[in-house]
Amino acid sequence: MAQAERKLKELKTSQLKHDIGARRDLVVTLNTRSQPRLISYGDDFMVAKLPPGTRVVYPPPPLEPLPDPDVAIRYALLHPENADPLFAQLNPNMRVTIAIDDISLPLPPMQRPDLRERMLNIVLRMLADYGVDDVHLVIATSLHRRMTEDEIRRMVGERVFKAYWPDRLYNFDAENRAEVVMLGKTDHGEEVWLSKRAAESDLLIYLNINLVPMDGGHKSVAVGLAPYQSLRHHHNPATLRDSHSYMDPTRSGLHRSADRMGKVVNRNLNVFTIETAINNRMYGGLLDFLHKNEDRFTDWDRARLSGFKWTLGNLSDGLRREMLRRYAAPYGMTGVWAGETEAVHGKALARVFQQYAVPVKGQSDILIVGVPYICPYNVNSIMNPVLVQCTGLGYLFNMYRNKPLVRAGGTLIICHPLRDEFHPEHHPSYVEFFHRCLAETNESTELEKRFEAEFARNPTYLHMYRYGNAYHGVHPFYMWYWGEPGRQHLGRIIAAGCEEPEVAARMGWEAADTLDQAIAMATSELGRSASITYLHLPPLVIADVE
Amino acid sequence: MSVHNGNSFRAAAFYDLDGTLVDVNLLHVTAYMLANVAQWKGRIANVAALAMRLPRLYRAERHDRRLLNVAMFGIFKGISRDRLFVLGEEYCDRVLMQHFYSQAVDLVEGNRAAGLEPILVSGSPDFVVAALARRIGVETWAANRLAYSRNLASGRLREPIIAGEEKARWCEEFAARKGLRLRDCWGYADSYYDLPFLTALGHPVAVNPDRRLMATARDRQWPIIRFARIRAAAPAWPLDGES
Repeated sequence: MAQAERKLKELKTSQLKHDIGARRDLVVTLNTRSQPRLISYGDDFMVAKLPPGTRVVYPPPPLEPLPDPDVAIRYALLHPENADPLFAQLNPNMRVTIAIDDISLPLPPMQRPDLRERMLNIVLRMLADYGVDDVHLVIATSLHRRMTEDEIRRMVGERVFKAYWPDRLYNFDAENRAEVVMLGKTDHGEEVWLSKRAAESDLLIYLNINLVPMDGGHKSVAVGLAPYQSLRHHHNPATLRDSHSYMDPTRSGLHRSADRMGKVVNRNLNVFTIETAINNRMYGGLLDFLHKNEDRFTDWDRARLSGFKWTLGNLSDGLRREMLRRYAAPYGMTGVWAGETEAVHGKALARVFQQYAVPVKGQSDILIVGVPYICPYNVNSIMNPVLVQCTGLGYLFNMYRNKPLVRAGGTLIICHPLRDEFHPEHHPSYVEFFHRCLAETNESTELEKRFEAEFARNPTYLHMYRYGNAYHGVHPFYMWYWGEPGRQHLGRIIAAGCEEPEVAARMGWEAADTLDQAIAMATSELGRSASITYLHLPPLVIADVE
Repeated sequence: MSVHNGNSFRAAAFYDLDGTLVDVNLLHVTAYMLANVAQWKGRIANVAALAMRLPRLYRAERHDRRLLNVAMFGIFKGISRDRLFVLGEEYCDRVLMQHFYSQAVDLVEGNRAAGLEPILVSGSPDFVVAALARRIGVETWAANRLAYSRNLASGRLREPIIAGEEKARWCEEFAARKGLRLRDCWGYADSYYDLPFLTALGHPVAVNPDRRLMATARDRQWPIIRFARIRAAAPAWPLDGES
């Protein structure tokens, strides 16, 4: 029996009903009568007629959310995995640090109240009830940009913000030498550095949201509260090349390294992890047609699509971006677990895969993906070309378990306008990386050897990271390395709908004006019988490729 | 490649001063000098004269930074060179060092540790910039110089007047002299009038930029830095080790 089908059999009856009923038509082969498909294309969507025979992989429908998330969170705290209940670990004289996932997930940001606000309200109430006063809330930004005051307020809620900001609620500063400490080394010689406040606390509570399977687990603490000195051990070309894929932690070099570091952390600290899983209801209300198979569009769906396209097409770039930024997703919480990191993460992972996994038979010669307007590193910002690369090659290519959706040496078509546009306050080092480093080489190991240390220690970028809202100077390198497994695996990468071909050329890609042209370019080499798969987004989907 | 205190520099970091590293401006320097240059009666007359010139200075500022410098330095006419240099030292200790952004100290020292030789390029008078450069360990600087006649300021500036394109030209000449490539050098400034200076360098950075420089920096995707205006105390200088 195929592995993916066996997984479905392991599900409980109610889950199986959901899966079989809803996942029946998630892999569709197009014919001449099929409707054009909707493809993410930066701040817009393409509507494209794909060649007959193209296989389209659709995301599963959203799992039913838990009816009362607050009750579920309280239950998890009282019935933790491999740990004492939270209340039993508290005493009035203790020092507690609560670390929180940052703005990089979920995407798009969720409607209020954010799950982090719900968790914080309950955990802080419990700490207060047991007389714990020495509590700091640290946003686990690692080398991400500092969240702004408004972003933090939105995430944690007004009540927590008023009580804790800015003295006891703040962004982690990985470059403040007084704020980080080395805990030790792993058996692979990796240095494990961590937030000093967290390391000196009697209890570290981590509040997580699992958007995709690469989130959570040991990665939360060992990466989120760690500085460059730790991250360089796994955010490097060699480790990332050994990841197949990022969405399958059991086969990811990145996760193996984070796990080793996490074990060192857990030996030194008392960590209480709270992980949540959410469903994939990215778009609701008037935009819920974005989740649907286009062949099943009703007249109302088509009218809404026309209206949506018309609106996007008639707004200025700035307004369109602002409109999309303001959109908040109606995610629902599908599970919450608390306790010991690995036990908690195992349960969260199972639920996340239940939401995203779709069995797919075999690889194809060509894979088409559409890169949307948002990725973890451009919330309230601009999707620059390096991030398009990271999203297309790093995330969307990696949306698989077992084997990639496209065969080795195959072609990846990435739909995005690919403009030479950067946010100077959020991504200052990206500009230099793109215009200076990539102009000299796009070989990851060469970039690492020649430029990484210089960017990591650049005083201007460090200043902007520490006091402004910029990503760390080394961050564009990590984004580039992120695409390394994809670059190693693929034969060709074509940017479809590319407005600035020189941008594609700088990244070693080919450019095509339209998707039709990109498909023609790909099939000219592979022949008309080349198989094509389109990974339909939004929302997210993970292909279990047999 | 130049060498300083055992550091070998691969390139240079050029810093504008007023509004960039310190939160005072040229008018402040001038007012301080005039208010301290003579006996009480003379001080009042000097400050009154400066006040009378303000509309003219404002017009000059709106039109051309070079004109502002010429108009501003004319006020020093008749003051002895010795007195100006003494006042420069005093102003540096009592005002400038207190108004140095502490984060700017980190930046300058960090750049120095990263192999960028610090150079001050300022429209302020040389008797102030020289005093400051000594205190922060900067060997090379460019500033405006008054012309003197029989040891008294003539009220005229000596060429080149460090403003606008002259700043860029000075940097080009300096780099050529030192064998540096401008494309490897960094430049920090706060004003739209510094645009020629910033565009001459490979790594321009807008620091606390005015509205027009902010728009330009965003358009050209230059890094934008904001130094906090609140300081608990005067920054320690120099820092130990790199930032």
